[in-house]
Amino acid sequence: MKIFVNGAATTQFGELWGVSPRSLARGSVSSALKDARIESAQVEALFVGNMLSGMLGGQEHLGAFFAEELGLPVPAFKVEGACASGGLALHNAVNSLLSGQYATVVVLGIEKMTDHKPEDVATALMGAGSEEERNAGATFPGLYAILARMHMNEFGTTEEQLAAVAVKNHYHASLNPNAQFHNLLTVEQVMRSSRVADPLKLLDCSPISDGAAAVVLSTKNIKGSVEVAASVVATDTLGLAQRAHLTQLTATQRAAEKAYRIAGLTAGQVSVAEVHDCFTVAEVLAMEDLGFFPRGKAAAAIEKGETRLGTSAGIVVNPSGGLKGCGHPVGATGVKQVVELVDQLRGSAGKRQVENATIGLAHNVGGSGATAVVHILKK
Amino acid sequence: MQSPVKIWRNQKNIASLVGKTGKILSWTIVRVPPGDFTDQAPYPVVLVELESGKRVTCQLVDYDDAHLTFGQRVVTIIRRVTHPDPDGVIPYGIKAKPLV
Repeated sequence: MKIFVNGAATTQFGELWGVSPRSLARGSVSSALKDARIESAQVEALFVGNMLSGMLGGQEHLGAFFAEELGLPVPAFKVEGACASGGLALHNAVNSLLSGQYATVVVLGIEKMTDHKPEDVATALMGAGSEEERNAGATFPGLYAILARMHMNEFGTTEEQLAAVAVKNHYHASLNPNAQFHNLLTVEQVMRSSRVADPLKLLDCSPISDGAAAVVLSTKNIKGSVEVAASVVATDTLGLAQRAHLTQLTATQRAAEKAYRIAGLTAGQVSVAEVHDCFTVAEVLAMEDLGFFPRGKAAAAIEKGETRLGTSAGIVVNPSGGLKGCGHPVGATGVKQVVELVDQLRGSAGKRQVENATIGLAHNVGGSGATAVVHILKK
Repeated sequence: MQSPVKIWRNQKNIASLVGKTGKILSWTIVRVPPGDFTDQAPYPVVLVELESGKRVTCQLVDYDDAHLTFGQRVVTIIRRVTHPDPDGVIPYGIKAKPLV
């Protein structure tokens, strides 16, 4: 059985103080249904990817909450896997179609983060780490900083090379009307920005964002649909200290290997990828773990523009702007990545269109790499 | 804020990790802390490999900047982690200090 994305949409991403979660959900789901030319009566189930509604908003029971708001009185589920909640919701939705339980479902990824002060958001996000890491006063920038320092020590990766990831992704975001940021950055600006968790600086970090994204998935290949060629999840230990490897995310590597095998493809055949650049170093790790560059070689390649629109001769990475430029409403991100790939594979991505895009890969990570979700989409 | 019951339950785990020596594998300096740690920032968080091979992530205390290097020898100690909860139970945990 083949699974297809029939319709896809995102809201604006950003600091949306005047917009409620209900309104974000309505906006993204109604646009996705319209894009798929499907009536809401045809929807048989709703999968909601979200991480922080309980800790920040005091609202759990999100399946029923959004089913009511969307006028979809169907089976509805909240799927949580930290910042990979969106990708995990997609995976569960794909499985529900493969099982034959449903024929048409909606996946909504959503997060409302900017209603709360940064310390509270940092505390809530650390719910994705281990208790040992929480007791250490670690933060997510801090955990990725520990990985960055190890990568720099082993492979000679520089802070300027990490900064080049943010520069590229802001350039891509400047071409994306729904992105949180439209300003261009320079390596010097990133290097001079305030230190958050050494060696990571403010402009190495994805922002705190609000936003939602939705897709309609079904077993029907209607016009404009994109096929889901693989949907794979892998896990690793919650905390960094218990990992076998500290200059890679092993869960990403394992999910990618299995996804390529299921799709019958190699990393070299991917034309466009949306990867989880929660911090600049995370995109460097992703490039190596997904097999796009050999270990220790990705940072220099990114710095040379080998993954940037207009200068890449092969794969383009994070044309949406990624988490850094487009924004990172954590539960929405994994779904937004697939929305971007659908736009790219349809050839409807406007100024940020990757030429001859035929195969797309989405890579969504939870925590510091305890969950990794890889989706491969093809025309 | 941790439950007093949870703090009590974790006592034996903490005791088993005290007084162990090891070396720093990697580190960061947290400058934008979680809410419970605002009065301590900035502070280093280190990834330590103990001689047993076990690794722990914890804060480094009683240090100079020169101690933040790969392979710096450290020893684990008991320290207060955050503020006491409203019932007055003080959360203690493992931190590391340079071995000199």
